Parts: sequence; C-alpha cells; structure tokens
Amino acid sequence: MSSLNASLASALSGLAAAQGALAATTNNVANINTPGYSRQVPILETGDPIVLDPLTFGTGVRLRTLESIRNPILESQIQQETQTQGELSALVSALAQTQSNFTSTSGDIGGAISKFFDSMNQLSTSPSDLSLRRNVLTAAGNVATSFNLASGHLIAQRTNLDQGVEQAVGEINQLTGQIAQLNGQIAILENAGESAGTFLDQRSQLINRLSSLVDVSVIPSDNTITLTTASGTALVAGQQNFSLSTGTGPSGVQHIFAQNSDITATIVSGQLGGILAARDQQIPGIAVQLDTLAAGLANAVNQVQTAGYDLNGNPATGVNLFNPPPASLDGAAANLTVAITDPALIAASADGTPGSNSNAEAMYALRKQALIAGQSASDYYSTIVFNIGNSVANSTAQQEASSLVLQQLNNQRSAVSGVSLDEEAANLMRFQQAYAASAKVIAAISSLMEVVINMKS
Amino acid sequence: MRVNPNPLPDLLSALSQNEKQINNDLQQVASGQRVRVPSDDPAAAAGLVRNADQTSEVDQFQRSLSSISGEVQNADSALSSVVTALQRAISLGVQGANGTQNASGRAAIANEVQGILSQLVSLANLSYQGNFVFAGTATQTAPYVLDAASPSGVRYVGNDGVNSVTLGDHFAAKTNLPGSQLFSAPGTDVFQALQNLVTGLQSGTGIDTAIDQVSAAYEHINGQRVFYGNTSNQLSSQSKYLNSETVQLAQQQNTLGGADLTRVLSDLVNQQTSREATLAAMARTQQSNLFDYLK
Repeated sequence: MSSLNASLASALSGLAAAQGALAATTNNVANINTPGYSRQVPILETGDPIVLDPLTFGTGVRLRTLESIRNPILESQIQQETQTQGELSALVSALAQTQSNFTSTSGDIGGAISKFFDSMNQLSTSPSDLSLRRNVLTAAGNVATSFNLASGHLIAQRTNLDQGVEQAVGEINQLTGQIAQLNGQIAILENAGESAGTFLDQRSQLINRLSSLVDVSVIPSDNTITLTTASGTALVAGQQNFSLSTGTGPSGVQHIFAQNSDITATIVSGQLGGILAARDQQIPGIAVQLDTLAAGLANAVNQVQTAGYDLNGNPATGVNLFNPPPASLDGAAANLTVAITDPALIAASADGTPGSNSNAEAMYALRKQALIAGQSASDYYSTIVFNIGNSVANSTAQQEASSLVLQQLNNQRSAVSGVSLDEEAANLMRFQQAYAASAKVIAAISSLMEVVINMKS
Repeated sequence: MRVNPNPLPDLLSALSQNEKQINNDLQQVASGQRVRVPSDDPAAAAGLVRNADQTSEVDQFQRSLSSISGEVQNADSALSSVVTALQRAISLGVQGANGTQNASGRAAIANEVQGILSQLVSLANLSYQGNFVFAGTATQTAPYVLDAASPSGVRYVGNDGVNSVTLGDHFAAKTNLPGSQLFSAPGTDVFQALQNLVTGLQSGTGIDTAIDQVSAAYEHINGQRVFYGNTSNQLSSQSKYLNSETVQLAQQQNTLGGADLTRVLSDLVNQQTSREATLAAMARTQQSNLFDYLK
C-alpha cells in the first residue's frame, strides 16, 4: 500500500531532478562562448521501484549525472591537425621573412652581380680609364655587401628562431604541468564515480594548445592519460610531468633535452617542429646555396684577374679581386670582401699594355659561363629564388589546406559538443514545466495531507 | 544529425579569406606587379631574376656601344683628314715633277710636303679621352715619335694589339686599328713615302717613284678606313637590335610579373560582393533564437 509520504518523496525527486537539469542548462548557456566547452546533458533515470505485492510503485526520478557530450576521435583528430597547423604556421612565417631577402628588385644579390659585370663591360671599352676602374671596384664592393647582408639576415633569423625554441619549450613545460595537475583532479572525481566533464574540457583545451607547440601522442589509461611526443619521449604520465630543457648544442644553437637526452632531431611537428625545420634545415640550406654562389663567383673572377696584368703593366699574380673564400665554403657569403682598393690593380690587360682589354673581356665572359653547378651566377641565383619561393608557396598551400581541415573538424566538434541556444531554450522550457508540475503535485499532496489532518476535528 | 549551432567561426574565416584576397588584389593594382615576393609565383620570380640580368646587360651594351662609337667616329674623321692631306701631297708631287719647276719652286713645294708630313704625324698621334687611338694597345704613349735615325724620320712605338669589346650575345666589335697596320704598314709606309717625296723634290730626282709610293699609301689608308666605316655600321645596326631586345625584355618582364589589371579588378569586385553578402548573412543569422520568443 502506497503512502502520501512516498508520493511526496517522488514529487520532491522530480523537483530536485528538474532543478539539476535546469542547472545544466544554465551552465550550458553561461558557457556558450567558452572555448572547448562541451555541452552537458542531464542523464535522468527512474528511481528503484518499491514492490508492494501485487503492485509496483515508482519512487520518482534520479539525476544520475550531467554528461559532457564529446567525441574523443574528433578531439584527437583536432589535436593531430593542430600539430600540423602549428608546424606549418611557424615554417611559413619564418620562410616569409627569409624570402624578403630575395625579392626580384635591383637591390638584391642578382642585381649587384649584374651591375658588376656591367661595369666590367664598360671598363672593356676604355681599359685604362681610372674612373671606370673605380666603378668596377664599387660594383664588386656592392656584390660583397649584398652577400654579407643577405647572409647576415639569415644568421639573425636563426638567432630569433633560437629564442623561439626556448619560448616554446617554456610554454610546453607550463602546459604539461597544468595537464598533470588536471589529471590528478580528474582521477579523484572519476574514482569517486563523479563526472569530471569540465576538467576534461579544460584538459582537452590544454592538450590542444600543447599540440600546436609540439607533436603529442595521447595515451589514455584508467581515469588518466599519458602524453608523449610522437617519438615516445614522455611529457606527462598521470599526475607527473617531465620538463624539457634547452641547452646550447654543438653547432651553437639551442637543442632540446628530455632527462638529459637530446631529442631535438625527433621533434617534427607543432610550432617547435616548424621552428626547428626552418632553423636547422631550410635556412641553413639557403645559406649553403648563398655560400656556393659567393665562392663560385669570387673564385672564377679571381682566377681570371690573377692571370692578367694591372694598369702599371705588372702581372696580377696573387692579386685577387675578392678575398678568396674558404675552401669549405662555410661563411663565404657572410665574409665576402673586395681585396684591393687601388683601381689600377684591376687586371684588365692580357699582355701588360695599359690599353689591352682582353682580360677584362675574359672577366666579362664569366657572366654567361657555367660557374656553379652547371649554371651561370645569375641563373644559379634565380634557382635560389625559385627554391625559396617554392618552399614558401608549398608550405603556405599546405597550411591553408590544413587550416581548412582544422576548421572542418572544429565544425564537426561544435556540431557534437557546441551549445545551441534554441536547444537550451527548449530545455529550459521543458525543465521549468517539469519543476512547476512537480511543485503542483506537492501542493496537491499537501492539500490531501490537510484533509487527513483535519479528519478528526 | 545535429548541426553546428555556432557558424560564426566559419563565417569569420570566409571573411578573412575575402579580406586577404582583397588586400592582395589592391596591392597588385597599386604596384602593377603580380609577383611581389618569390612565393607569389616561384617560376616567374626566377624568370624575373634572369630577365633583370638580361635587361641590365642590354642597357650596358648600349652604353658601351655609344662609348665605342665616339672613338670610332673620331678615328674615322682623323683618317679622312689623312686621306685629304695625302691627296694634296700627291698633287703637290705632280706639280713638283713638272719640268717647268725650278729648284727653288721645288724646295717650296718640298716644304709644303714636309708640313703635310708633320700634320700626319700629329693625326697619327690622335688621342681620344686620354687614349692614343692608333697605338694598338699601348694607348698611354704617343705611337709616333720623331727619330732622325729612322729613314722615314718617325718611329712607331705602339704595338699590334687590337681590342674587341663584347656588345651582344654573339657580337664583339673590334675597336681599333694599330698604326703599324695603317700608317707604317710594310710597303705602304706613309711617312716613308712622304719623306721620299720631300727628298725627291729637294734633289729633283725620283719624284715620280715617290709619287707612286704616296699614291700606294693613299690607296692603303683609304682601304683600311673601310674598317671604321664597317664598324660604325655594325654598331648602329647592333644598337637597333639591342633596342628591340630591350622592348622584348620589357614585354617578357610584364608577362612574367605584371598584374593583369582587368582580371584583378574584376576579382576585386567579386570579392567585395561576396564580402558584403557574408556580412549581411552574419547580421541576419545572429538576429534571433528561441529565447526571444519565450515569454
């Protein structure tokens, strides 16, 4: 036999459940603009029934949990794509700076080389003219300066990227620390059988930020997660995080260490991966090409110069026009300088007579000769311009594609987890009505109670 | 299927794409250039590097060419004076060879021929912008010096050097003829011939032989003078070729890197239309939700 009190309890459970559900709706609405927030859905279930033979009575409703709606596969895809995005963004921004050294204007290396050969052609028309000789020296000086500048920019850029490495490592350590802390809180809640939805959202956000910095693999285990880099270096294990550190490596740039082992080469993705790719591969690659060009040009010019005669009729043996670049080519562009200051020392003459221009003509002929890797100096320079332009164009295209993918994934995530105001308004209405109805039921029970209480009097 | 309740990021990204394209178009319009950094079109950027080098080279060829033409024209006009002087010498010789001339008349004529000889020495020592034009490549010293020990009275101290200057991909112009090939060529030595004429006039013998020698020298120099005429012609036709080359290179540069304004402007209009449409859509979608209707 049921009792009024039992009904009252049922009605109360309805009130409580509606209140809880309203709280979830309120929270959803409040968090409509919170990045990474997953909407919460109240999970209601009926209370355990009481069997009073032959009848079974319900005991109302129970709000089991507020479940955060999320799709773990989507989240992990977003993390992956965020890594790619971070890497490509860092690479594109580094390379875009680099390519500004190679804009096709007359102030660049190509223009300086053209002007040098032009001045040589002019000298050829009147080889004993001192002012034309001075022009050749000036043009040669401009060639050297343009190489020095471009090379200096590359070096400065590597230094900046180096600072970027330290910053990124600092941020990574901060994030892994926060994630480890959240792991602890999530474990406590989940071990107590409670929903850790909000903390999970926060952790997911942090992992996203970490993904934009470095390649992260997420390995879920009981109530917690382990984070490693793609190559397996542990970053977070449960409630413990492992800090990365930086130190100057053998080549003078910052290397990244995890528990004293150098993991620099294993980081290929995320912002850090992009910075490292620009710093250790792309920019040095361009620097080597510049060195090759500078050395190829200087050596070829020197070879012809030293075979001729200066204005005074002396053989120019050993009198180079450019200071000879090192055989290793290392720093050839950065340190290229003109070796002579006396314009009379330019060996325009092939036989010692001041009016002979044959050696100047021979130097001019270098303009079309294959000096470097089967190409003339100007063609080789155009190849460098093509290479860097192509790198930037490719990385930019990849970055744009990746950002479309990321946007699509975020759309899908938002479709699953995003807060819809229409939906929340409908829920608000639903739970409000449920609350009002339960309250009405309590009022009815109360009046019934009154009937019972007043029966005797 | 639940739809994404928040389309704003999508729209924002569409807007920023719009904006990027509009900026790019505007920059193209402002600069007239399609390729401003190598990544805009790597192959065209590399082509522009080569184009800039070729343009610079062609411009330089034009400058070199005009330097050389000055020298060539100077030399040519000097030779023209030489030729005129030699004609005068020949007619003087013929006068002197006339039997009616007495010794004092011939001496006067000899004096005049001697004057022509001196004039030729100074013409052969022509200098242009500090360089002796007929000295071979020994351009810093006068090629003809007076030397009593020499039978002709002058001595060539230049050399046989000939310069040529590259003025095109497959064109190099020779810029000078050495005096040894012009005035003191073996067999047609101008100075020797004139000297012989002077001596002949003074002595009254061998005048006809000397006249023949001067005539031969005259023929020789007239023949050699063709070199400068030819060079002048070559230079002016090369200059025309280089001009057309400049035009072609400028066209190529425009094809490689110039902005196609018609296309850019129509794209600009499209982008702006699409931007306005997106903005209007954003304004409308954010207008209402169910909350507005719950009382």
